[in-house]
Amino acid sequence: MELELCKNDIRKCKNIEDLEKTKIKYLGRNGLINKMLLRIRAMPEEQKKEYGKKINYIKQKIEEEINKRRKELEKKEMINFFDQTLPGKPYPKGSLHPLTYVIEEIISIFSSLGFIQVSYPEVEWEYFSFEALNMPKGHPARDDFETFFIEFPENDRYGKMILSPHTSSGQNREMRRSKPPIRMINIAKTYRPNWDATHTPMFHQFEGLCIDKNINITHLKGTIDYFVKKFFGKNRIIRLRPAHFQFTEPSFEIDVSCGICLGKGEVNGKKCRICKSGWLELAGAGMVHPNVLKMGGVDPNVYTGWAFGFGPERCMMMREEMKIDDIRILYSGDIRFLEQF
Amino acid sequence: MNIKLTYNWLLDFLETDASPFEIQKYLSLSGPSIERIEKIDNDYVFDIEIISNRIDTASAFGIVQEAFAILPFFGKKAKIKFNPFEEYKFSKLLKNITVEDYELNIVIKENNLCSRFSAIVLDNIKIGPSPYFIQQRLKAAGIKVINNVVDISNYLMLTLGQPTHIFDFDKIANDDRKYATIIMRESKKGEQIVILDEKKVKLPGQDIVIEDGKKRLIDLCGIMGGLNSCISNQSKRIILFVQTYNKQKIRKTVMTTGIRTLAATYFEKGLDEERVEATLVLGVELLKKYAFAKISSKLYDIYPNPYQKKKIIVPFSFFEKIMGISIPKKTIIQILNSLGFETKICNEKIEVFVPHFRKYDIDVAEDLVEEVARVYGYNNLPNNFSPPVQVFPPEKFEKTFKLISKIKHFLKHLGLNEVINYSMISKKMIEEWKLNEKDHLKIKNSISSEIEYLRISLLPSLYKNIKDNEGKRETLKFFEIGKVYLIRKNDLPKEEYRLAIAVNTDFFDVKGILEALFLELNIESFALPKIIKKDNIFLTEINLLSLIEKTKLLPRFKPINPYAIIKLDKTFELEKNLSFEKIREKAFKSPYLDKIQVLSLFKNKLTIRFYYSAKDRNLTEEEAKKELEKL
Repeated sequence: MELELCKNDIRKCKNIEDLEKTKIKYLGRNGLINKMLLRIRAMPEEQKKEYGKKINYIKQKIEEEINKRRKELEKKEMINFFDQTLPGKPYPKGSLHPLTYVIEEIISIFSSLGFIQVSYPEVEWEYFSFEALNMPKGHPARDDFETFFIEFPENDRYGKMILSPHTSSGQNREMRRSKPPIRMINIAKTYRPNWDATHTPMFHQFEGLCIDKNINITHLKGTIDYFVKKFFGKNRIIRLRPAHFQFTEPSFEIDVSCGICLGKGEVNGKKCRICKSGWLELAGAGMVHPNVLKMGGVDPNVYTGWAFGFGPERCMMMREEMKIDDIRILYSGDIRFLEQF
Repeated sequence: MNIKLTYNWLLDFLETDASPFEIQKYLSLSGPSIERIEKIDNDYVFDIEIISNRIDTASAFGIVQEAFAILPFFGKKAKIKFNPFEEYKFSKLLKNITVEDYELNIVIKENNLCSRFSAIVLDNIKIGPSPYFIQQRLKAAGIKVINNVVDISNYLMLTLGQPTHIFDFDKIANDDRKYATIIMRESKKGEQIVILDEKKVKLPGQDIVIEDGKKRLIDLCGIMGGLNSCISNQSKRIILFVQTYNKQKIRKTVMTTGIRTLAATYFEKGLDEERVEATLVLGVELLKKYAFAKISSKLYDIYPNPYQKKKIIVPFSFFEKIMGISIPKKTIIQILNSLGFETKICNEKIEVFVPHFRKYDIDVAEDLVEEVARVYGYNNLPNNFSPPVQVFPPEKFEKTFKLISKIKHFLKHLGLNEVINYSMISKKMIEEWKLNEKDHLKIKNSISSEIEYLRISLLPSLYKNIKDNEGKRETLKFFEIGKVYLIRKNDLPKEEYRLAIAVNTDFFDVKGILEALFLELNIESFALPKIIKKDNIFLTEINLLSLIEKTKLLPRFKPINPYAIIKLDKTFELEKNLSFEKIREKAFKSPYLDKIQVLSLFKNKLTIRFYYSAKDRNLTEEEAKKELEKL
């Protein structure tokens, strides 16, 4: 029967779109129902009424069937709706301390140059932090390294027990451990009694030491320039300025060109808000003082060397991503800080 | 130390075509850093950082000496108009001494106090304002303008780098006002002096002081004069006093009394005695001109050990050895000469004579290389790598750092947050953990009770981290890798790397983390570290060294078994005498058991899945069931 065929057709619709097409096929202006109604004109008067009734009945049934199918399809589509904008399956997201990334980056740059990483005592004797670095007792240069002292009996040879205020104490220890050639880097916790927005009583330092025959200033310059370009970017340059440290001679301060104004000191005619006239202080460095070599048992007539020291915290904060106004947050253990990295 | 000087002040001594900004740029690269320039009226103020061993540059003439050597290397002209050390000689002054109305009775008790002592009495002083240019320059330098006499004293310091002191002669003279007694000696502990700023200072002892004929202290030498002998608006006769003091003593007094003046900052660095002469002569000249002074005593100058020129011999090749490039001999000589070093060539060596103003910072050949290299320009040296050599890291270090990095990244990916805590903890934390305070090293000069003791465990810090973060996040999982400091007798503490984990979830969370970590590190057997519960926090701590030995790069490969694996499930009712561990132990007695897996735990009902297989054939289900029944 015709109606059954229509119903089947409707039931076979897989989705609302199909259903709409089918609806037009039967109920549209040029649809089956209208075509059937057109035939009524040619019919004898007495049959017209009966025929009309029949067509109306079919139309009604088709409409019913369509609505029924529509409801079914709507329900099905609701169940099958696939929202690709939902978030993916969550995986655990932990974090490392930002300094861990920085330190690992520094180490990897220097490893590629053939430097080895070492570790030396954080709790040290005065001797290694001062005397062995050409800073005898009472020397004013010791003032530059304010120091925490430990309650402990003084050692006859090495003096008082301290928390090392810099990593340079490792220079003498490395020379004791290994004869030249030396290619050393040492990143460690260091300590000084200052605690404010720009100082923490514990911080990190990064020491490089290279001792060999025929080592000269160009090697130090080249190494630091390479580091700066790798760590901060190829467009950055360094400059060396004269300075004084007891344990190096000649001694320099190393500045890196500012990443904002690229060394010009101004941006669009206005003073750069980040740097002092185009440059940022990065590190202290120099050629190892002959007295320091001697105290490490290395003959300064045969060997020369360079050394530098700088702060990973500072390196980190000189990067674009890390504008921190209060450095104490690094060691606060605040989850709202830590989880960001 | 920073000092401020003006461009015009330098031009008193220097003839140059360099602008203030060029001076800033070039001096900063090769000499003292000029950190800032500020324009004032018709002059520029330089804010100059003095390199710590170059106190000789801390004056207008000192900077000019540097500029004279440096500017030509940047294509700028530089000429010294006149050299005060050559112009202002005592011989010039002595010619003018006609009246000797007044006398000084000078006694120096110890001979390690003052390497040069000079003084002169000036009469007819009229106190008034100092000339405009002096006022303007002092203001630019950040020094308070007072009157002509005091201002000239300060002006001398910044012009030539030698502080001076001025006494009111009448305030210390004897009754007939003809002579004054000056006794320089070490102070006794507890002696008191009221200094110029009206502060009463109790002296720590062994400070350099001056006592007058009436047993009063009138000067805390090198630091600040006494109030009882200072210049006032009524002063008529003065003593101009120019000395170089024992720098260690000055430094000690500054450190112990906490009184720091600009003069003390000069003296504690150790001043060149030859500067005294020019300073006193220029001082007299300025006081004559701007305060109507008349010389009215003889010149006192006690200088027992005049400077003998130091000689350093350096092979020319040494400059190349350190600088890495060959510099023409001519250039080396030119640089050294322009810095005031006299030189003499002997074959392949150069003999260098150190001028008096560099006597304290130039000692060895390396010092001279620095002079040549910086003026030549560090930026003119090429960039090179240190030649590659084979250097092996000590295995202990290498393994430790590798392990630390591996653990950190693994724990991060498990969802833990790394913390770095201070190595120092508070007494409160020690007590909270019932640790023994005596096992901890204590900081003698700590700045806060929060950081007084070096930690012997990471747990107190991690516990505190969780407590501090309570309420900020629902679950907290922290870890830290750091050193602990274990006291040893007569030696530095043992520094031991530890890993600690703390969570606020549950026991099995920590246990799961540890098991996952051991698996990651390919550790085959390891006794599970103790897991501690404190409040609702679960913590554990491991000595990293103990992990290093067991960690492997690769796990042991097991050939893939091609035969059937029979899986059987069984449920047990756990009780005191039937723990999972016991079931496991017993199950593994079977030679066919590959592994077991916990499927579920409901109340004390534990369902375990057993995997049986044989290495050489297909095991039947019957055989497997038999094995399981043995349990």
